[in-house]
Amino acid sequence: MRFLRSIVPSLLLASSGIVEAASSWNVDEAIISVSGKGAAGTGFKDKLSDHVPLSNPVALGESDTLKIILTATEDGRAKRPHQAFLLLRDQDSGLETTIPFSMKESGKGKVDFTQKDLPVQLLTSSQPLRATLLLASFGSAQGFSNHVFNLDVQKDANTPAPKYEKPLRYGKLEEIHHIFKADPTSPPKIISIFFALAVLATIPVLLGSWAFLGANLSHLAKATSAAPVSHSLFFGSIVSMEGIFFLYYYNWSLFQMLPVAGVIGLVAFLSGSKALSEVQERRLAGDR
Amino acid sequence: MRWLLSFLLLGLLSIVQALSSSGNKLLVILEDAAEKGKYSKYFADLEGRGFELTYESPKNEKLGLFELGERAFDHLLILPPKSKGLGPQLTPKLLLEFINAGGNILLTLSASHPTPSTLISLLLELDIHLPTDRNSLVVDHYNHDTLTSSEKHDVILVPRPDSIRPDVKNFFKGTEQGGEVIAFPRAIGQILGNDSPLLTPILRAPRTAYSYNTKDDVEGVEDPFGVGPQLSLITTMQARNSARFTVVGSSEVFENSWFDGKVKRSIGLGGSGAQTKETKTSNQEFAKEVTGWTFNEIGVLKVGKIEHYLNEGGVQSNITNPKIYRVKNDVTYNIELSEYFWDKWVPFTPPPRDSLQLEFSMLSPFHRLVLAPLTRTASSTIYTTSFKLPDQHGIFNFKVNYKRPFLSNIEEKNTVTVRHFAHDEWPRSWVISGAWPWIAGIGVTITGWVAFVALWLWSKPVPLRLTTSGKKIQ
Repeated sequence: MRFLRSIVPSLLLASSGIVEAASSWNVDEAIISVSGKGAAGTGFKDKLSDHVPLSNPVALGESDTLKIILTATEDGRAKRPHQAFLLLRDQDSGLETTIPFSMKESGKGKVDFTQKDLPVQLLTSSQPLRATLLLASFGSAQGFSNHVFNLDVQKDANTPAPKYEKPLRYGKLEEIHHIFKADPTSPPKIISIFFALAVLATIPVLLGSWAFLGANLSHLAKATSAAPVSHSLFFGSIVSMEGIFFLYYYNWSLFQMLPVAGVIGLVAFLSGSKALSEVQERRLAGDR
Repeated sequence: MRWLLSFLLLGLLSIVQALSSSGNKLLVILEDAAEKGKYSKYFADLEGRGFELTYESPKNEKLGLFELGERAFDHLLILPPKSKGLGPQLTPKLLLEFINAGGNILLTLSASHPTPSTLISLLLELDIHLPTDRNSLVVDHYNHDTLTSSEKHDVILVPRPDSIRPDVKNFFKGTEQGGEVIAFPRAIGQILGNDSPLLTPILRAPRTAYSYNTKDDVEGVEDPFGVGPQLSLITTMQARNSARFTVVGSSEVFENSWFDGKVKRSIGLGGSGAQTKETKTSNQEFAKEVTGWTFNEIGVLKVGKIEHYLNEGGVQSNITNPKIYRVKNDVTYNIELSEYFWDKWVPFTPPPRDSLQLEFSMLSPFHRLVLAPLTRTASSTIYTTSFKLPDQHGIFNFKVNYKRPFLSNIEEKNTVTVRHFAHDEWPRSWVISGAWPWIAGIGVTITGWVAFVALWLWSKPVPLRLTTSGKKIQ
């Protein structure tokens, strides 16, 4: 007797659990149809199942209207649910929009929409939109939530794709690497070498032609015996002037070079006048 | 005596526990002093973290957010008032001035009390949209607590949120063990404007939730204010001066009864969760994280020292932060960053898909380069990059502009001059192969000149001979 008494409450609990699970919302006679502008009766029409989605995606063109008529039932009896939504989800980005049904007291509801009613972010999806039907209300009844069909939004090939400008969000920006101007280039080295050699070749040509015309240094002995200091200083200053020009080209600054050039120039002037007067003497003596 | 000593130690420890990085004076606005008991655990948590709480009623005339032109408080917590407004001391203009002065505000709403219209217009100015009717409520027939709201479905159970974007740090993910729920009773959902980059939702409503008008849409809802994740339950706005404003859709989230309440999930989408057991809510931990973020205890960044120097030819220059560089110099830039974590500064690492960037720009960036971590000290990380200055002269800036959701803003600018090549910094002519013929020409000219001078000074004239045809030959 005591044993029976102890299992009675657990039996009652189990039976109440079974009764609770039975209360749920469902959909009855759901018909989906797509109709184009003016072409009544020639569009797509099908019945939506309450446990399996449509196998083929439903196509919605630019000027088509999609319409769904259904009856919502709670425990088999038609009743108006508080929430009757059709959710359309973009499979790429996860964005989902909601289109509410207009419901009557009897539980019959309908919804219709065109492409214009969909937000622009969903119109540019690469996959069909996933449509879920939600029917639920207050109370303990379990809501109905099933994937009922896929919606293929078809864009007209002629109309341009809708523009969607992404709003500003803080995040990392694209990397920028400055593109430098090209360094100045020289022509191929072989050309430079060729022409440099051509220029250098003029020296032997010059010296050779002078030699052919009878160039000689015969008066060098006579000149140095007559005025050795002035001639050596003069020629030395000519050569060292060239040396100063080379040093200025290599690494001297102007203010390093000018004083030295001034000194050498003075030496050239003073020794040169003596050296050239010696040359004048040779000229007057008839040697030149 | 020993108990006195341990008491003192405990007191000191509780002070060291956690501290906001921007001050600890917190003003709590609650209309009814009796409500203090409902939030006693939450207030005790705040005091344990070092905040100094002051409780005021919005009707108090002597209440002042500012004192002699300065902020009298560092943070503001507003619990929903029953009356029509927040009083003359908390007008929207004053609240905005508080934010502009760097103060943080945590505003809680409730579907049980009608929201004052001044608050609705204040939030609208920040691009947060509240339902204009005063009777809206967020319900979810698939994600509610069956223990307390099996009929009304207005206690929504939300899991811990994911990162808003893969490159944004998530401070609200809890212990990441899964199965955590946050109870959100009687909430007002908000819709965020799309244009503002300053708004970020912390917690969004589940897919099947919606907000409806309890007076008008009793039978069925055909034009809900918002549905699913478009409804934000907790919204944040971080101003450009890094002051933080958080709107929590339900003040009951912070109540004692929900801090350690037990909830049981309803049957979700597709019949899932039919056999769930009762679980404890994570409201207390979540409240700590939301409050910690709003009151500058987490997510605050600080710049240490910034160094840039010349690094030409691999040789580091000794002079740091020179005022002038030259075109095409090789330069290295270092910046030190720390992040505040509850009570101390720790080294900062940006989230995995995100990166810290340096811009070298005049009017627009010439370079935008990723800063890589170089070394790590006890409280900061030093980031570095090396690059070649552009071949444009002018006044340039080293700019680090790091603004991210949930992290305080970093904007650092160092100005330098970039000068042209000096006259003696160009390549010499013997290095340029195209100049070789010309250099050869100079050499030829010099040689010819010296030879001519020698010949002219010291040559003996050679007599001309004439041939039979009259031509002069030697």
